[in-house]
Amino acid sequence: MVRLVFLGKFGDVAPPDLAEVSLPADVHTLKDLQHWLAHQQPLLGQAMAATPTRLIVNQCVTHDLSAPVRDGDEVAFLPPMSGG
Amino acid sequence: MAVRVTQEAFDPQREVAAFTAGRDDAGALVSFVGYCRAANDGVAVQELRIDHYPGFTEREIARLAEDVRHRFDCPDLLVVHRVGTIHPGEAIVLVAALSTHRASAFDAVRVLMDYLKTDAPLWKKESGPDGARWIEPRPEDHARRLEAEKGRT
Repeated sequence: MVRLVFLGKFGDVAPPDLAEVSLPADVHTLKDLQHWLAHQQPLLGQAMAATPTRLIVNQCVTHDLSAPVRDGDEVAFLPPMSGG
Repeated sequence: MAVRVTQEAFDPQREVAAFTAGRDDAGALVSFVGYCRAANDGVAVQELRIDHYPGFTEREIARLAEDVRHRFDCPDLLVVHRVGTIHPGEAIVLVAALSTHRASAFDAVRVLMDYLKTDAPLWKKESGPDGARWIEPRPEDHARRLEAEKGRT
């Protein structure tokens, strides 16, 4: 199982049952995961395509979409931030 | 240096008093408090919700603060940031810097606020009578962030 965290506006369009998912056999990388999510949840896919999205894997920033996703990972999807 | 992300309302004056209590090593204190406004860009705000990513948000803010502390040779910094549901009039963020001289304390607070606006993993959603909207950094926030980066030596 992989834990998925959707922050900010992504949380509005991601259904709760995506919080923990069993990945299909053909999802190996972060890029595969993004494609699979966009296919499963078109609204979420549109939201992520419309805005710069940062990915955090196991609480570490990653820019490499070819990085593998493994069972037990936590992957967070971050839209642009607005603190302060 | 202290960084706190909290669901609870806080009293900025009390926080600053606790931060400076017993300190005789600093010649300057500068503090900034950001408040939730009752209207933003002419749109009424009844409630502000700030999302965070527990663990990651605290670490990232601490990293930004540590960066600023070293850059301006500031002996101490305090950051308190609200998350969850906030109402107009309540404090959202407090940044305070204790330093030997005023210039570095002013600079540290200004630059850390610029960083928080664009780089802190926090997401604001305003709700009012006309509905809800997610807030994203404005072009001027990014411009200030770039300006702050340029000043780096």
